[in-house]
Amino acid sequence: MAQMELAGNTYEVDENGFMQETSRWTEDVAKAYAKLEKVNELTEEHWKALNYLRTYYLANGICPMIRRLIKETGYNLSKLYQLFPKGPAQSACKWAGVPKPTGCV
Amino acid sequence: MKKLKLTDIAANENTPLTELNIDELIPLPPPYDRAGDLPGFRQLTEDQRQRLVCNLDGVVSYAGLPKPENEAEKKKYIEQFLGGLKKLLDKENNWTFLQPLILSLDYCAQCQTCNDACPVYLASGRNDLYRPTYRSEIFRRLIDKYGKTGGKLRARLTGKDIRLNWATITRLYELSYRCNLCRRCAQACPMGVDNALITRELRKLFSQELGWAPKELHEKGTVLQLEVGSPTGLNPRVAIDNLEFLDEEFSEATGIDVKTVWDKQGADVLLIHSAGDIISFPESPISFTILCNAAGINWTLSSEIGGYDGVNYGLFYDDVQLARVAIRHAEIARKLGVKKIVMGECGHQHKAFITVADRVLTGDLNIPRESVMTFLENLVFSGKIEFDPSKNDFPVTLHDPCNVVRNLGIVEPQRRILRYLCPQFREMTPSGVDNYCCGGGGGLSVMSDVNFTDWKVNVSGRMKFKQVLEAFADVPGPEVNKYVCAPCLNCKLQFRDIFEHYGAKERSGIICGGLAELIVNAMVDIKTPFIKWFDD
Repeated sequence: MAQMELAGNTYEVDENGFMQETSRWTEDVAKAYAKLEKVNELTEEHWKALNYLRTYYLANGICPMIRRLIKETGYNLSKLYQLFPKGPAQSACKWAGVPKPTGCV
Repeated sequence: MKKLKLTDIAANENTPLTELNIDELIPLPPPYDRAGDLPGFRQLTEDQRQRLVCNLDGVVSYAGLPKPENEAEKKKYIEQFLGGLKKLLDKENNWTFLQPLILSLDYCAQCQTCNDACPVYLASGRNDLYRPTYRSEIFRRLIDKYGKTGGKLRARLTGKDIRLNWATITRLYELSYRCNLCRRCAQACPMGVDNALITRELRKLFSQELGWAPKELHEKGTVLQLEVGSPTGLNPRVAIDNLEFLDEEFSEATGIDVKTVWDKQGADVLLIHSAGDIISFPESPISFTILCNAAGINWTLSSEIGGYDGVNYGLFYDDVQLARVAIRHAEIARKLGVKKIVMGECGHQHKAFITVADRVLTGDLNIPRESVMTFLENLVFSGKIEFDPSKNDFPVTLHDPCNVVRNLGIVEPQRRILRYLCPQFREMTPSGVDNYCCGGGGGLSVMSDVNFTDWKVNVSGRMKFKQVLEAFADVPGPEVNKYVCAPCLNCKLQFRDIFEHYGAKERSGIICGGLAELIVNAMVDIKTPFIKWFDD
């Protein structure tokens, strides 16, 4: 299993850098991921999306459809790409500490 | 590019046999013809090269392949491989595919005709590693050597000796996932040899005997589908919840009452979508809801575990999982007492469920199963829905999912729909049963471990991307919106990855979607355009 150091701690990640231990996530982990993608500050807008993703994942065992994310946050897709450079799945889910979506999605 | 010999498979177990170089791949049409302008190819990090088995082509599709500490452990795996190889030749253990496997092993005339039919080999700039015959001939020689009496002696005398060692089995494993199982080679073969079947049997050996299978296909694939309901992780409650949400969203957007039907006992039709469509292409399941309701069809979806996801990844790598998933689908239909099952826009679901699973669906499990193509054709031409084809007046081309078209011969129904509803419909060249795979076939479209996505968008999807660009050569710029109709979820995912990688939407104005969306877009009752070209 690959490992990655984020905010001073070591975490198990998949080969694309997604955390494998969702419960060990902290806000500092999100900030560290963001820095790696050259986003140096997480704003309230970021947190609104990240908190929704995480809460939804913990309740449902799966990431929400992008449509739900858009509806919930009020951001359109280009706005989401502005906030999360590689998009909702590759950046936002990763920063929120949930596994990479799989299975025909 | 280095020429490869068959015996190279067993040499230098830690060194890749070949390294991919983008400049050696076949060129793409402009504006994608300058390698410098393209995102390129993700190389493995030094850490990954140390940690992972990486001895084929610089690409790793499965990080979970073990890296043994000592020779004894390697030997254990080699013994398992040999055991599996013998089982493949045995009627008791391989009643499913023994006969076609034996025919394909015995009748290859070494004419190499199949190579020129293979999109992966062609796109690679004719890299020996990707010849359909490279993998098959090595496997054939191993079977001759280890699976037949006097084989070892004969191998030495005839000079056809392939060493079986750690390098051989790990490379064969990875190489079995450099094939889309599209069977274009089988169609081209004058003898009817099916190299895709040989590849698939090789995958089966690794899965059933060594426990080696891509995590997206097995652990997070069929296992998750049987336990939770879908490889996406979608459980029944969330599936229903998502569609209720979509019903509401689209009722609002279209101004008509969109209501998906669930678990209706005794319905005429049980429709089984791919659950990935609900999540990633929600316009697709919603289109079916709109069309079935508008045509007055007595239909339903199922919320049983597995009943709302028609995918069957077992087709790609494992007979046991294949049978389990197929039987689950049929049992759900039997319990609901439906007259027939209609398979959604998913190619491998068609092949797995219509034909391959036929032998396990006996008695009252043998419920009529219909392709979505004929189902939609009947619906469009039923006269129950009014259409205005001028609403689809933009360039449309059709992708032929290999499993529906080449492998099942369902060619015309989807074309009759498009000729009627899309004034600017044009074929790709070649098309129909001669089509090129999207590059995601054989389960590859859902695999994304390590740097595998880079291989799919650069190599296996290259011929298809080239074809798409050529089909729209008369309107190449981004100012004209263009639609690739791909009536298969796995193909759509692969197109999405290709288009994203090359920036095809921004640079060429190309998007990809299914068939049902085009039909809904042409409905007179849908007042605002159903197909959205922009995300906002």
